[in-house]
Amino acid sequence: MATLEERSRALFDESVDNLDMAMRSRLTQARHAALDAAGRSGRRRGMLRMPLWTPAVGVTAAAVLGVALWFGGHGHHGVAADSQSSFEDLDIVASSEEGSGDAMEMLQDDIDFYGWADKAAGSEPAA
Amino acid sequence: MPSFDTLNTAWMVWDDPAPAPEEAVLEQSRELDRLLAEIERRAFRMAQVALRDPDDALDVVQDAMLKLARNYAKKPSAEWRPLFYRILENGILDLQRRRSVRKRFMAWLPGPKEDPEGEALDPLDSVADSAPAAPERMMQDQAMQKLEASLRELPARQREAFMLRNFEGLDVAETASAMGCSQGSVKTHYSRAVHTLRERLGEVW
Repeated sequence: MATLEERSRALFDESVDNLDMAMRSRLTQARHAALDAAGRSGRRRGMLRMPLWTPAVGVTAAAVLGVALWFGGHGHHGVAADSQSSFEDLDIVASSEEGSGDAMEMLQDDIDFYGWADKAAGSEPAA
Repeated sequence: MPSFDTLNTAWMVWDDPAPAPEEAVLEQSRELDRLLAEIERRAFRMAQVALRDPDDALDVVQDAMLKLARNYAKKPSAEWRPLFYRILENGILDLQRRRSVRKRFMAWLPGPKEDPEGEALDPLDSVADSAPAAPERMMQDQAMQKLEASLRELPARQREAFMLRNFEGLDVAETASAMGCSQGSVKTHYSRAVHTLRERLGEVW
C-alpha cells in the first residue's frame, strides 16, 4: 500500500502532466520573456559598467595635466618676459639719447671740439 | 603588515574581472533556460496549490524566473534550483499577505464578498462540467482537490517543506537553503506536515 508521501507525489506528478496546452504555452512564453528581460538588463549594466580603476586613472591624469599647466604656464611667462625685456631693450636703444640723431650730432660736435683742442695744444708754448 | 598573498588577493578583488566571453554567457543562458523549462510546470502547480488562482500562480512563477535570471545567473548552477524556490515561495507569501490586507479592507466596503481564500466568487465555478470524465480520472481529481485543500490549510512553512521535499524531491540541505532555515527546522516542519496530512486525509485515502 502506498504511503501518504508516495500517493501525494503521484497525484501531484499527474496533475503536472495533465496541464493543458494553453497553460504550457503561457509558461514557455513567460520563461522566454523573463530570460529576454534579464539579458537586456545585463547588457545595459554591461554598457554602464566602469572598471574600478577608472577613478584612479582620472585622478592621475588630472594631476599630470595640472602639473603640466603649472610649469608650462610658468615657462610661457618666462618666454613672454624675455620677449618683453628684449622689446624694452630695443625700445631703450632706439629711443636713448646715445642712439638718437641728436646724439650723433653731439658726437659730430665733439669731433670738432677734439680737433680744435688738439690744434690749440700744439700751438701753445711749453710752460 | 599584510602578507604578499593578502595583497595579491586584495588586488585581484579590487581589479575588475574581464567580462565573460559571449559564448560563455550564451551557454549560461541556455543552461538556465533548460533548468527553468524542466521545473516551470511543477513550480506552477506548487504556486497554484498555494494560491489557487492560475493567473496569480503564473505571475509569481514568471517573477521568480526573472529574478533568478537577473540577479543570480552568475551563481553556480547547482544553487539555481534552491534559489528559484526560495524566490518563488517569497512571492507566494507576499501575494498571500497582500490578499489578506485586501480582504480586511474589502470587509469594510459594501458589495459582493470574497470567499475564505480571499478570491472573488466566480459564478461559473458552480456550473457543472458538461464533458464526462472517466471514473478513475474523476477519483484522482477529487483526491488531488482534497490534497490541495489540506495543503492550503497547513502553516506556510509546513506546506513549503512538504512540497519541496516530497513533490520537488529536494534533499534536506537544498530544502533548508530554499527555505532559508536550518536543516533541523526542515525536518521538524516536514514531520509535522506529514502528521497533519495523515490525520486529515487518512479517512479518505
